[in-house]
Formats: sequence, structure tokens, C-alpha cells
Amino acid sequence: MFWHNYKNAFRTLIKNKALVFWTLVFPFVLAILFNLAFARLHDYDVFEPLDIAVVESEQMDNSQVFKEALKTLGEGDNKIFNLKYTDLDTAKGQLNDEKIVGYVYANDGPIKVQVKKNGVNETVLVTVVDQLLQSSRIIDEIATPQISEYAASGQPIDESTIAAIYQEAVKTVMEASPNVKDDSHVMNIVSTEFFTLIAMACMQGAMLSVELTNRSMPNITNRGKRVAISPTRKSVVVTSNLLAGYTMLFVSVMALILFTRFIFGIDYGSNLPLVCVVAAVGSLTATIMGVFLSIILKTNENAKNIIVVIVTMVGCLFAGMFGVTKGFFDSAAPMVNKVSPVGLITDGFYSLLYYEDMTRFWVNIVSLLAVAAVFFVLSIRGLRRQNYDSI
Amino acid sequence: MTVSRAFWKIVLKNIGTIITYSVMLIIFGSLTMGSPTTTQYSAEKPAIVVFNNDEEVGSTKGLMDYLRSHTEIADKYEDNDELKDALFYEQVHLIVTIPKGYHADVAAGKNPEIETRSSAGYTAQLAKSTLERYLTITQSYNKLGLSENELVEKVNKSIGNEVEVGVNSKVDTTATSKAARYFSFANYSILACVITIICLVMSSFNRQAIRKRNIVSSVDYKTMNRVLLRNCCFYALGVWLLYVVMGAFLVGSADLMNWRGLFFVLNSLLFSVCATSIAFLISNLVFERGAINGVMNVVAIGSSFLCGAFVPVQYMPESVLAFAHVLPSYYYINTNNRLVEIEECNFESILPVLINMLIIVGFSVAFIVVANIISKKRRKIA
Repeated sequence: MFWHNYKNAFRTLIKNKALVFWTLVFPFVLAILFNLAFARLHDYDVFEPLDIAVVESEQMDNSQVFKEALKTLGEGDNKIFNLKYTDLDTAKGQLNDEKIVGYVYANDGPIKVQVKKNGVNETVLVTVVDQLLQSSRIIDEIATPQISEYAASGQPIDESTIAAIYQEAVKTVMEASPNVKDDSHVMNIVSTEFFTLIAMACMQGAMLSVELTNRSMPNITNRGKRVAISPTRKSVVVTSNLLAGYTMLFVSVMALILFTRFIFGIDYGSNLPLVCVVAAVGSLTATIMGVFLSIILKTNENAKNIIVVIVTMVGCLFAGMFGVTKGFFDSAAPMVNKVSPVGLITDGFYSLLYYEDMTRFWVNIVSLLAVAAVFFVLSIRGLRRQNYDSI
Repeated sequence: MTVSRAFWKIVLKNIGTIITYSVMLIIFGSLTMGSPTTTQYSAEKPAIVVFNNDEEVGSTKGLMDYLRSHTEIADKYEDNDELKDALFYEQVHLIVTIPKGYHADVAAGKNPEIETRSSAGYTAQLAKSTLERYLTITQSYNKLGLSENELVEKVNKSIGNEVEVGVNSKVDTTATSKAARYFSFANYSILACVITIICLVMSSFNRQAIRKRNIVSSVDYKTMNRVLLRNCCFYALGVWLLYVVMGAFLVGSADLMNWRGLFFVLNSLLFSVCATSIAFLISNLVFERGAINGVMNVVAIGSSFLCGAFVPVQYMPESVLAFAHVLPSYYYINTNNRLVEIEECNFESILPVLINMLIIVGFSVAFIVVANIISKKRRKIA
């Protein structure tokens, strides 16, 4: 009887188009949209050279050291700038049309920078120009006393001597590189958007168990009345229904994980069995949550599904799906993501990928199981000893 | 009157949907407002954490003072995990560890090693180049064999001598970008609210049993369609008005009480009309109540993602934006973004905004024409 009921429950779910859309199709649609919208953020740690203009003028030609240094930053594979040498009017026009981040000019005095607005790119331009100007000044500070010394000693000084002194000064400054040991383990923040998507897919799956529980509740559906008076034990009906919902949800979540992993290249780490553990425990929590909501909410199926969506979406908000990062909410309201299933599933994937120590991962899994256990106990209390004199 | 009463009865039945999308707009709209910019150039200050294992004297003090003035030093992170998370979520862009004996090593002419850990992205690059700038200058002067005090003095003087920067924009974009973000996010809420409710109402009137009753009633179908259309427009206007009032509270009514605010409001009005026409078209294509929510979500979320309502357009690939040109949301959001930076209200500067608005009107007309053609064909089949 168990497997007979299991098969029937499974068939019923597959035939419900709205349920299939929300639990199977919608997460895939969102995954495609996420991938399109965040496509550039996938590789945003790769620095793209900034388009800037250098306004040609007599004063700019006089700052030969600066001009040469700027030119070197516009060459090679690791170049910082795409340089365009132009006149002032063209540079102004290009800046207004946002074809360049800014322009460097020196029409009436020192070298200046013109940008359209404030921003990170503009700050990078200003920081680099600052650094070059400072280096030029240091070169002058090194070379000038040497030239004065040379002159004071009464030796004849020609242009080639000055050039040699300057070359030596440039070499000194160029060799002065900072001694920085970079120990970064850079990971793309966009991955978390997909982690929240998987968590959302798990929790939307609660709709499956809402539907199946409603079908066995006499006070909600006619089928529930028939089930109540049938000789099959209620525990068999409920567990076979839940197993059918759970199977469908787990398979769809795994399909979504494989789809995002192999089609979009989302990194879930190398430990596939543990990725399956998160999906399995997440689906289990969602299934039991669906039963719980279905039992405690005395309303129609549509309203119950709307509540599932609201609970899921609020969880997704706190887990960082809508632009504001999970880190922000972890600082502002630290407890929310420690009890919210969406937060725990997202953090499970995150800790699996980012942390070498597995403690945090297992804390998330145990917390999810604890949440599922609470829902389970409350559901059992709601389901037991339900008798109706008339209905 | 009966038709109108039935219309509003169904709307009131679904008031929960309207409240849900409005609350979403309030939460997400206000959370995404930010990124202030001003008419004066001000450098972005990356957030960093510094572990200073040295005494704060000499070169170490110079470095610390420099970092304090050029970055935001965060000190609220207590354990390593918290710091690691902050680095990942880009709340902190760089962690700098100054070794013990740094200042003594610099004074001895050495180049001591500084450990760093950074997050991804441009701001982390900026944080790194900010640090490296100071260290490079220190190292350059250090080769001159100066005393520690002279070295610090020279480095500070050099750092303080910064390039003059001019900013073109005369608009304080703090308020205008807030309004743009709010109205751009409203793209989703307007579409969701208008499409869901109008489609639900239309599907109720299109249900076979109800339709048959309406056909035999004394009200002819032309009058009924006219009344339905009028009520749909009133409903869309109500949603628009609600979101404008909410916007006035969230953005600040003073920031909307000018020509720019007027264009934001006008743009959202035209988009609401367009959303109504989309709803009409969908209600002629989808009759199952269960399917309406699915179609609405694909249309609303899809166009919001593809046109830049959720992710700023500067982060989106050009191919996606090129495709987005076939969607009315693109022109609505593009207008909002353009309005942020327009300095003066004259025909030349407003022309691109007017063209966008005309395109939205064009989309609305096209959707209504297509909806009528489909509706006519359906009647013939029936």
C-alpha cells in the first residue's frame, strides 16, 4: 500500500502544472536570468583597463618623465589605461559622452585631472596620476641636488650629463617597489546569488508537501475525507506522500545544481557528496516545513502557497539574493540567518567552498536538521488524534 | 455599475497581493538606495582592517596616519571567521598586517614585508594601490639615506601634494540617484501588481459560466468591455499613485518637487499605462488562473533582470542590454538613469528622455492592437 500510494502521490504532483512551474521550471528560469544579469560580475575581479585621454600641449611635453611613465601604464598585457592622445575639446566631448573615465591636461600650470563624476574608476585614475606625479617630484628631488653639486664643483655640465643623472634617478625610483606579500583567496561574490537560488528552490518545494498534506486532510479536501475513512493507516498515507514530495524536490534541486555547475560554471567546490548532503537536508527541511504550514494554517491552498512564497522570499532577502549581501544582514541581525532555512542552506554551500575547516558546514547541517525536527514535532502534534464527529 | 462593482470586489479579494508587492518595493527600494556622489571630487575610501604588530612611532605612525586619512579602518571584527566573511562579502576590501619592528627596519634602510589579504573587485584594487603608493614613496626616499624623521616628513609632504581634480557634473546626484533607484525597482512592482490583478479580474470575467451569463445579460459586450477597460485604467492609476506617494516618503518629497521629479513621475505613469496594456495582452493569451502567476513572474522578473532594475546597468553585459531594447522596461529604466545626470532642463537635454517616453507609448499602443486582434480572432472561433 505504501508504494501504491507513493506512486499515486508522485503522479498527482507531476500533473499539477502550477506546482511543476513553481518548483521545477521557475528556479531554472531564475538561474538563466541570474546568469545573464550577473555575466559581467562573474569576472569582475579581472581589472579592465580604463579609457582615458591625455591632452597634448606644450606644458605636457615639458613633463617628459610623467608623460613617459603614463605611456608605460598604457602598454603590455597588464596595462592600467587605454590612452588616447587628443586635444582639449575632443577630450571634453568624449568625457561628456562617457567614452572616457577622465582626461589629464596641463594647459596653464601643473598637471590636472578632469573627471565627470565620483566613482571607483575615477579614484583609480586620480590615485595613479598622483603616484606618477609624486614619483616625478622625487626624481627631481634626487636629480636636482646632484646637478647643483656637479655645477658647484666647477665641472662642465652638458645635456647628456643631465640626462644621465635623470636616468639614474628614474632607475632609483623605478626600483623602489613595495614589499607586499599577498595572501588572498579571492572568490566571486556572485556564487552566493546562485547559492540563495538553490536555497530558494529547496524552500519553494514546500508547496509540494502543502499540496500532498491538504489531500489527506478531511477538513480541507474531499479526498481527505475519503482518506480519513479508508482502512489504510494515516501514518502510511502521510509518509508515502511526503516521500513522493521529497523525491521530486530532491531530484529537481540536484538537477538545478548540476545545471548551474555544468552550464554556467558555478563553483560549488570539489566535494560533490557534501553538496548532495546540503541539497538533501535542505529538501527535507522544506518538505517538513510544508507539512507544518499546511497543518497550522486554517486557510485555502492558494493562501498557504502564498505564505510559503513569502517565507521563502523573506529568507532569500536575508540570505543576500536581492542586492544587499548576506554579510550585511549577518552584522545587522545576526540570529536571522542562523535559524532561517534559506540562510542555513546558503551558508552551507558557502562554508563548503570558502572554509577549509568543516566545522561551520556541519553546524549549518545540524541546525537545518534541528529546524526540520522542530517542524516535525509540531506537525505530529497537529496531526495526531484528529477525529471528526461531523464535517 | 454591476460590472464595476464586480471588478473592485475581485480587486479587494486580492488586496494581499497588492500589499505584498508594495511592501517588497518599500523594503528593496529603500535598501538599494545609496551610493551618494556629490559635485566635489571625493576619493572613494575602501574599508580596510589593519593589524599593527609594531609600535606606532616613526614610519609605522606615518603609515597608520596615511591609512586613516585615505581609507576607512574598520575595527568591529572580533574573530577570524567574521573577518573572512567580511572580506568575502566586500564589507572589508583589504587586510593589512604590519610586522613587528617595521619602523626600525625602514629606519635601517630595509624594505620590510607587509602581508595583505584582499577581496575581489575594483575597490580592493584601489585599496591595494593606495597602500602600495605610500610604500613606494617611502622606499624611493629611503634610498636617499635620510634619517627616520626626515623620511617621514618627506613622505608626508609628498603624499599631501595631490593632483588637482575637476568634476564636470554640476548635479548633486545623491538625491537624484535615490529617486532613480526607487523608480527603477518600481518596474518590478508595477508590472507584478498591475498584471496579476488585471489578469485575475479578466480571467474571472472570461470563465465560461460567467461569460455565458454575461452574453445573455442586458449589458452589451461593448459597454462591458468599455467599463472593464476604464476600471483597469483606474486600478493602474491607483497603483501608480500609491507608488508615487510611497516614493515621496522614501526619497523625500522635496527631491521630487522639481522638474526632474516631475519627469520621474510622468515616466512611471506612462510605464503603468504600458503595464496595463501588457496585462490586457496576457489576459487574452492566458486563461488559467494558476498560470497567471507564473506568466506574470516570468514577465516581471525577466524584464527587471534583463533591463537593469535589480542589477545596475553598468555591471550588465552589452549583449543582454542590446536584447533588452525589445522590452519597454529598458526605456523606462534608461529614462530614470538619464534623469540622474541631466544638469539643465532644456529641449536638447530632455530629448532622449522624451524619445524613450514616446517608445513606451508606442509599446502600449502595439500591445493593445495585438490584444484586440487576438480577442477578435477568439470571438470568431467561439
